[in-house]
Amino acid sequence: MSGIVESPVAGSAVQRRFNLNPTFTTLLILLPFTCVCLLLHRLVLAALFPVAGLVLLALARPAQRRRPDALFVGSALVGSVLLLFVILPILNLFLTTGGSSIAAMARDKSVDAALEVTLGAGLISTILALAAGVPLGYVLAREQFPGKSIVEGIIDMPVAVPQTIAGIALLFIFGRGGVLGAPLYTHFGMQLSDTLWGIVAAMLFVSTPFVVNLSRDGFMSVDPRMEYVARSLGASPVGACLRVTLPLTWRPLLSAAIMAWARATSEFGSIIVIAYYPKSINTLMFEWYNFFGYAHAKPLAALLLLIVLGIFITLRTVAATRRTVHARNRT
Amino acid sequence: MIRLEGVSCEWPEFAIRDITLEVPDGEYLTIVGPTGAGKTLLLELILGIHCPDKGRILLDGVDVTRMPPEKRGVAMVYQDYLLFPHLDAARNMAFGLRYRQIPATENESRVQQMARLLGVEHLLHRYPDTLSGGEKQRVAIGRALITEPRLLLLDEPLSALDWRNARRLRTEIQNLHRIKKLTIVHITHDLAEVRAFGGQIALIDQGMLKALGNAEDMLRRPPTVFAANFFGCVNVFEAQSTEDSAWVRSGPLKARRDGPAASRFQIVVHPDEVTLLPNTVEDGPNRLRAVVSSLTDEGNYVSVAIHVNGLDEPIIVYTNRHTVRSLSLVPGSPVAADVGENLHVVAE
Repeated sequence: MSGIVESPVAGSAVQRRFNLNPTFTTLLILLPFTCVCLLLHRLVLAALFPVAGLVLLALARPAQRRRPDALFVGSALVGSVLLLFVILPILNLFLTTGGSSIAAMARDKSVDAALEVTLGAGLISTILALAAGVPLGYVLAREQFPGKSIVEGIIDMPVAVPQTIAGIALLFIFGRGGVLGAPLYTHFGMQLSDTLWGIVAAMLFVSTPFVVNLSRDGFMSVDPRMEYVARSLGASPVGACLRVTLPLTWRPLLSAAIMAWARATSEFGSIIVIAYYPKSINTLMFEWYNFFGYAHAKPLAALLLLIVLGIFITLRTVAATRRTVHARNRT
Repeated sequence: MIRLEGVSCEWPEFAIRDITLEVPDGEYLTIVGPTGAGKTLLLELILGIHCPDKGRILLDGVDVTRMPPEKRGVAMVYQDYLLFPHLDAARNMAFGLRYRQIPATENESRVQQMARLLGVEHLLHRYPDTLSGGEKQRVAIGRALITEPRLLLLDEPLSALDWRNARRLRTEIQNLHRIKKLTIVHITHDLAEVRAFGGQIALIDQGMLKALGNAEDMLRRPPTVFAANFFGCVNVFEAQSTEDSAWVRSGPLKARRDGPAASRFQIVVHPDEVTLLPNTVEDGPNRLRAVVSSLTDEGNYVSVAIHVNGLDEPIIVYTNRHTVRSLSLVPGSPVAADVGENLHVVAE
């Protein structure tokens, strides 16, 4: 998780430490793109990547053109196989689906409704996860207490529990006959099975580890003595947290939110157990694939990928932005 | 005034055990001790970050043992500055003003005033990551002082600085102490700092207060063997009691002890209080016959090691070049050494 979160910073640190050639790295990373395009018989696209790489190399300052060592080249080549494995199916989906069919999907009413359910429930579950998970992350980062490792183990559990089992387990508690579900229904008329709240519950369950772990790591990166100093200057514990800790951790917290939201919107297994209706986008896709087959589901899949990637990349870019004020003042 | 009464705090790695001490208003207390002695923990107990298991902490006569740090009016400066990286120097310094009963309109002038005092006016709009170590520490001290604390705690404030910066800032802290009549508790492990700051010294080891006293006394007449070792006394000789219980002896060295009976004695000879004389001089009390074993030019003085019959270790004597020349001292030269009346006896 943290690898994805920190990648823009960590990458440049590694290059500095080993004095590697950034342009060469770009070329190596572009290699799988070229391979994918060749496999998909898109020769023009395939040529585009190496050309872009050569242009970069030509523009690079001579100092950047030093030849890197064999270990680095080997590692990058082996690693790019994995990159290839991830890019191939995704790129193929885009390249083999017509733009018009994707646009038609976007206008489909049932798709719109399902998207609304998924994105809305994802947003609600992310807000709930942040509201409770960030404080828990803070406690885990700052306090040592007996049983802490058990708590951390519980937090990690949703990652390992198979999704359908998670759904069934949640249903036993929050279903209409469940321990909490029954009183919720009789006293508040609230039910989780086959409602938006059921979807939110399923999403919350699976995204909890991301919020708690990433915010804990974020808080751990702030020296607690920074808070001591703020306290000694007159700030209350809440004041120290608001004026010092939170401004220093907004990036990891944003990363936590992005990961939680991404995990929530991609959830499927536990959602179909708890709430098949209202139909969320993954349920809809599953249904189309089951009833109408692969070809029918493909444009929807491409559309979904576009939306998710768009949001993901935007948020990531925001999270990776350097403090511009600082950059201005650097002398 | 700050007073600790039997303060104890046990942590897995560090501990403070039954410490009682008092720092009167305007006093400068230097806390020294080996690494891991619990010095920082003691400061954080005074600051109010941690709560002692036992004992009381009083500030101006008020029990503050359970009072949160923001209500104590105690400020602390750490070795690694801990400036808030998201705020520029001016906003770092103004951080604590919001919590004082000060009109916001005065904030800027106060920051300016403090910045002028510490010589950081030109840095106010810079962010911490663009400042040098010395500049950061000045801003950190300004941030602490601007709230007008009744007690300032300094945790090795100079140890991360190069010697030139450290010496300048040391003078500035001394001036601040004098001008503002601040009560300061300062942790250090640097004996040069201890000498420079003077005031009171508390020696802490394994969480216990091993010695407390005036700096001059403590360095010249360390009360315990541990203190003598810690303060780097150069000539320390194991001694035995004599028939006359008022005296102890180590080879040819004889010194009067004042203090209770003890199981172990050491005689401390201060290297700058020994006078080297020509070997032709007559015998006299406290006058030893010796042979020069080595000479080391230390820059501002010459360190001469002399071997005295009956002592296992040589006595180190600090002298000047003129003496070395006039006595024609070379390794092997016979020489007389007057150790004077200033032999100090450490008892344990």
